[in-house]
Amino acid sequence: MSLKSFSRARAIHLMLVYTGGCNGCDIEIVNCVLSPKFDAEQYKVFLTWNPREADVLVVTGPVTKLNEEPLKKIYEAIPNPKAVIAAGSCALMGGVYKNIHGDIPSEEIAGPVENIIPVDAKVPGCAVRPQDLLSGVVSALPKLLNAD
Amino acid sequence: MNEENKSKQEIIDTEVALGTVHPAALEPYRVRLFVEDEIVKDAEITIGVNHRGIERIMEGLPVEKANALTEKICGICSNAHIWNSVLTAEKGLEIEIPERASYIRVIMEELERLHSHLLYLGHGSEVLAHETFSMRAFSIRETVMELLRMIGGNRVQYGVSIIGGVRPRCELDDSRIRKIAEGMDLIEKNVANFADRFVSDPIVMNRITGVGQISAKDAKKLEVTGPSLRATGVHQDLRETMKEYEPFDFNVITLNDGDVKDNILMRVLEIPESISIIRQAIKNLPKGSIVDRSWEMKDTGIIHSHIEVPRGTLYHSYALEEGRVRGTIIRTPSMSNIGAMQLACIGNHVTDAQLCIVQCDPCFTCTDRAIEIINK
Repeated sequence: MSLKSFSRARAIHLMLVYTGGCNGCDIEIVNCVLSPKFDAEQYKVFLTWNPREADVLVVTGPVTKLNEEPLKKIYEAIPNPKAVIAAGSCALMGGVYKNIHGDIPSEEIAGPVENIIPVDAKVPGCAVRPQDLLSGVVSALPKLLNAD
Repeated sequence: MNEENKSKQEIIDTEVALGTVHPAALEPYRVRLFVEDEIVKDAEITIGVNHRGIERIMEGLPVEKANALTEKICGICSNAHIWNSVLTAEKGLEIEIPERASYIRVIMEELERLHSHLLYLGHGSEVLAHETFSMRAFSIRETVMELLRMIGGNRVQYGVSIIGGVRPRCELDDSRIRKIAEGMDLIEKNVANFADRFVSDPIVMNRITGVGQISAKDAKKLEVTGPSLRATGVHQDLRETMKEYEPFDFNVITLNDGDVKDNILMRVLEIPESISIIRQAIKNLPKGSIVDRSWEMKDTGIIHSHIEVPRGTLYHSYALEEGRVRGTIIRTPSMSNIGAMQLACIGNHVTDAQLCIVQCDPCFTCTDRAIEIINK
């Protein structure tokens, strides 16, 4: 393990991007870092709002058409190596908002996240449980730590 | 305006634009602050990024499915949406629900009010950059989330109400009632400690007193709803007029200043009222069935229903045609509170602008509805 990976493993920065879901997943994810019960900070996982500081991008929501460009820009602003986690059923497959009438796709939704940026880990659930999110972050870590 | 004045105007008129994705705001929305010497002179909030077209999706769905879908409008007051949507259908179909079901719905709604208010305290403290208070509020909130998960089966979207009553899995047996009672004791104790620490902290109180003031007159003019309206001194709570709340005794709390301090205290003071309603409900919980399935579908005209939800007044309206939903209109509380958010920013320091917006408890996810306002 190089010195870079060694230090990176001790300061994983999560960035949460919200792309038009229902708020439920976002609050659970913020809760997972801020609430003393789950307290992700004890595993050296920190919440940041600056893409240039972030290692892991957590995307929630079905990505509405207006949110597509900002999401791409944020993804490009994150330095390599980076991992992307799609959290919640909206981010995985558009949730209830996409294709609700069978064949007719929604006019508002550009997602799911996979269509826009590459996704490394998927966390299912409506809304995601904080425990699931933590295990999703852990499963994306090898990509970050084995990069160099 | 002569040439000299014009150039001066250009120098002092500065625009600070935040968004749509910005670190200070959880949800995507756009704020434009027009600043002069770091004092906000005008503010403009633009929404529309989150628009997913729920009303369009609901059009033509069977009413049971449409009710479940309204829950996905908001992840904070999800129970309020499904409750009001079910109430709308029940009004149209003239269904009398069993008394026990009505009590369970009230318990869920009050638990949701607790979690929404505690989230407000946590989020507000985070915007104040006081992470200790934020963590304490989130820690208290965890008790409520566990109770909600126990009753509804999920931490966020519970799906408790169905037409005619509540889902059988949400039946309250003795062990659940005992757990709710224990949870209420714990929350009451913790919130009292939290409030004591909060109001006796001179740094925090100085920071929030007098910031983002809204007068009762302005609040009425802008049609502000919910706790943000009551914090300005207007006595208005739809729970007083609702049939479901008739068996319960509770006080409608009003405060006078309408600033960030009063908005935060408002939520703190409403928590014991909610706890008292839940205690009365579990003490007098009537016996009997929790769902009445003997109703019949019929066509109705346009039906609508208003209820008081944690953040204000919620309005749902649709017509039923062969069991399908037609022409849905949903109006969420944050929609009418946007005016107050803009007004609260004016005259404050630019660093307080985010606090002034958060004081009205915004939920822009709910708010992105297609509404056409026609000036007449």
